[in-house]
Amino acid sequence: MKTNMQKQRIQYIVQIGTVIVCLLICCFCFASELIIKRYGLVSSTQIFKEFHVVASPQWHHYASDFITFVHKAGRLYVWVLFGVPLLFLLHFLVIGPKKFSHTGKKIYFYSVVTRLFHWLCALCFSLLVFTGLMIVFAKTFGGGSTVLLARTIHIWCAYAFLIVATPLFLIWLKDMIPAPHDLMWLLKAGGYLSKQTNQVPAGKFNFGQKMWFWLAFAGGVVMFYTGYYLSTMGVSQAQMAAFLKIHLILGLFILAFFITHLYMSLFAIKGSLKSMIEGYKWEEEVRALHGKMLK
Amino acid sequence: MARMKFLCDIERCIDCKGCVIACKEGNGVPVGINRRRVITINQGKPGEKSISISCMHCSDAPCIAVCPVNAIYQRDDGIVLVNKDVCIGCGYCFIACPFGVPQFPKGDTFGKRGVMDKCTFCAGGPAPNFSEKERRLYGQNRIAEGKVPLCAAMCSTKALLAGDGDVISRIFQERVARRGTGAKAPGWSTAYK
Repeated sequence: MKTNMQKQRIQYIVQIGTVIVCLLICCFCFASELIIKRYGLVSSTQIFKEFHVVASPQWHHYASDFITFVHKAGRLYVWVLFGVPLLFLLHFLVIGPKKFSHTGKKIYFYSVVTRLFHWLCALCFSLLVFTGLMIVFAKTFGGGSTVLLARTIHIWCAYAFLIVATPLFLIWLKDMIPAPHDLMWLLKAGGYLSKQTNQVPAGKFNFGQKMWFWLAFAGGVVMFYTGYYLSTMGVSQAQMAAFLKIHLILGLFILAFFITHLYMSLFAIKGSLKSMIEGYKWEEEVRALHGKMLK
Repeated sequence: MARMKFLCDIERCIDCKGCVIACKEGNGVPVGINRRRVITINQGKPGEKSISISCMHCSDAPCIAVCPVNAIYQRDDGIVLVNKDVCIGCGYCFIACPFGVPQFPKGDTFGKRGVMDKCTFCAGGPAPNFSEKERRLYGQNRIAEGKVPLCAAMCSTKALLAGDGDVISRIFQERVARRGTGAKAPGWSTAYK
């Protein structure tokens, strides 16, 4: 039988022993710390981390996201390229184009300068869209010199578009500022969902045209800025990944609106193409689609 | 099957950039393009270390994953190569690469790039071995000749090892075991006291 005294003594010995062991560990750590400091020993993992900072500092932040995004973007382009025209085909078959009588008073709508710059812009912009699509669907075109040529044209047209778009932007800016009645136009979906031709609230340009205007010009500036750095590689890889994301997603919207613009001008409103060539619209059409302009 | 790898011994690399020059000269790489580069940290201070970086010929390489035209491919021995006839120079591989390896020749005044160029492990390219086209587009094909890549072959301190991953890792392990590391390395006391 151990007495209480003996039990207490053993407890003391254990406690003191623990303290001594802890002190020894601390001394060992301190000593090794001193040795490490003195000799400057750095673990090779630490060294490779420092190399990584120099070689590719942000790679682990953006790369996995970028790799998955590139594949998603390709699929999204397929959806827009085939989905949007299909929707319009449906619209054409179910609701059909708007027809207005081309008799009566003619209204001078687009001046010669406007038309000239519109068609210059149209040329550059169409080439940008087509070559851009060639780059996105490069695999379909077999890659190589065909797509390299498309990339060259894409870059040249970007500069050309910047030059010809500036005058057109200034000509149209006054009429393209959003107004309160645009909301009503949006609620009526521009009157395109009914077979009757009711008057829709719109000035010289309706809200659809305004959206296209801002997407093409303001969006065009963003596309130019991001595209410039993507082509010259003047920024870090992380920024390039972000720019590419912006370029591809904005490009998707621009493509959708480009198809819309083609449909509206070629099929949805009869004689719309002619007005951009000759500069005149007929009064009945203006009264229905751009009523606020006449008041 | 051997798995080709590079290994740079950072205790031996002295930042002479001989590998960069050898690669450029031997493979006829144009001005402005470096298939290999040397990175130095703590230059001029204690703990200065250098490493020679080129394409690491990754397993499951990110560049192959993002290439929109499947121009980049991996051989059975692990060497990652680019087909310059198919490449469109889009630069996705440059964004995806963890080592910033892919290089693009500068084009005309409008900034158009050429097709991607990178380390081939001195294994040429998809063109027929030893053909004029292969030499012009990709450089030497030393692997087909049974030689190691130029950079590793001429490395003055033999810091850069290239070849079968099993073999070079064994060489490296033997080296580390013999020399010790840090304070135990030979010459440490004279160099840092």
